[in-house]
Amino acid sequence: MCGTCGCSDPMNSVTIKDVNTGESRVLREGGLIPQNDAHTHAHDHEDHDHHHAHEGDDRPHVHGPNGEIISLETAVLSKNDAIAARNRGWFEGRRVLALNLVSSPGAGKTSLLEYTIRNFADDHPIAVIEGDQMTANDAERVRDAGAQAVQINTGAGCHLEADMIEEAVKSLNLEAGAILMIENVGNLVCPSMFDLGEHMKVAVISVTEGEDKPLKYPHMFRASECVLINKIDIAEAVEFDERQCRENILSVNPEARIITLSAKTGEGADKWFEFLSHQYKTLK
Amino acid sequence: MHELGLSRSIAAIVTEHANERTVKRVSVAIGPLACVEKRALRFCWDIVTEGGPLAGSALEFVDAEGDEFLVKEFEFEEAA
Repeated sequence: MCGTCGCSDPMNSVTIKDVNTGESRVLREGGLIPQNDAHTHAHDHEDHDHHHAHEGDDRPHVHGPNGEIISLETAVLSKNDAIAARNRGWFEGRRVLALNLVSSPGAGKTSLLEYTIRNFADDHPIAVIEGDQMTANDAERVRDAGAQAVQINTGAGCHLEADMIEEAVKSLNLEAGAILMIENVGNLVCPSMFDLGEHMKVAVISVTEGEDKPLKYPHMFRASECVLINKIDIAEAVEFDERQCRENILSVNPEARIITLSAKTGEGADKWFEFLSHQYKTLK
Repeated sequence: MHELGLSRSIAAIVTEHANERTVKRVSVAIGPLACVEKRALRFCWDIVTEGGPLAGSALEFVDAEGDEFLVKEFEFEEAA
């Protein structure tokens, strides 16, 4: 349906599952037509003059050669951005460090979370919001690793949006001072556009993906303040050129902090943990 | 990319201001860094507007700067 992103069925709805209680509920109904229950009234506009109030909306309007033109200048993502700003304020008020983890499917985001939950020796509780099109597998994995977790299933959707985070946070009962890891849907395209209210995006790339991934998907790597190069334990087997990969990341995002690690063996994880602690300490 | 969702957002914004009157044309500004594919957006537009007050409306694009992505304006069909 959505020709370029791989969304298959637009009729799917978005659901949220608390894997600690097993409760599941629908967040957004499926369907193509935007729901708009605010305008159910009949509106007769025969011989209208143009001075009537537009039902509480006095947008500037002029007359084109054929009809009336309404000027909007409204950001298409304004609704998402407004909710994201609210989320950000909510996190800041509770000193919650929220990170938005993005990568291709299979780069090792969930494994990284499992390793981090088991080994990050810090006082901050870690909570996780998992985003996938289907299944609660990932939320169950991080729950089993010892973190509180909630799963969002986006159905047709190829990314998480701010309102899903707003709802998921309610299920989590987040403690003040927590670290919230938001594992986005595995996709290097769409999630770059949608602000969730996070402190920063962290991109994960694995050595099997090739050194030129940052060049192929520059928007995501530009949007991420930190890039983790994962699966470094098998770098030799796949002839991964780390220096080249780092150069490519820096060419699209000169400010990026790059950390090489293995979520399987733990190699390099100390740098990641240092980064997390530093981010937490410097939270405003 | 996710042009289906974006089309729905544009349709929701216009629907909110159109008060059920028939809309003839919707103009959207897209910057080169907005990551929005125009052809996909237009393809999705016809699908999301089908059967609603925006059905049959034309989606037009104007150039913008940077990552700007705005609903610029829309035009009503002249009342019969």
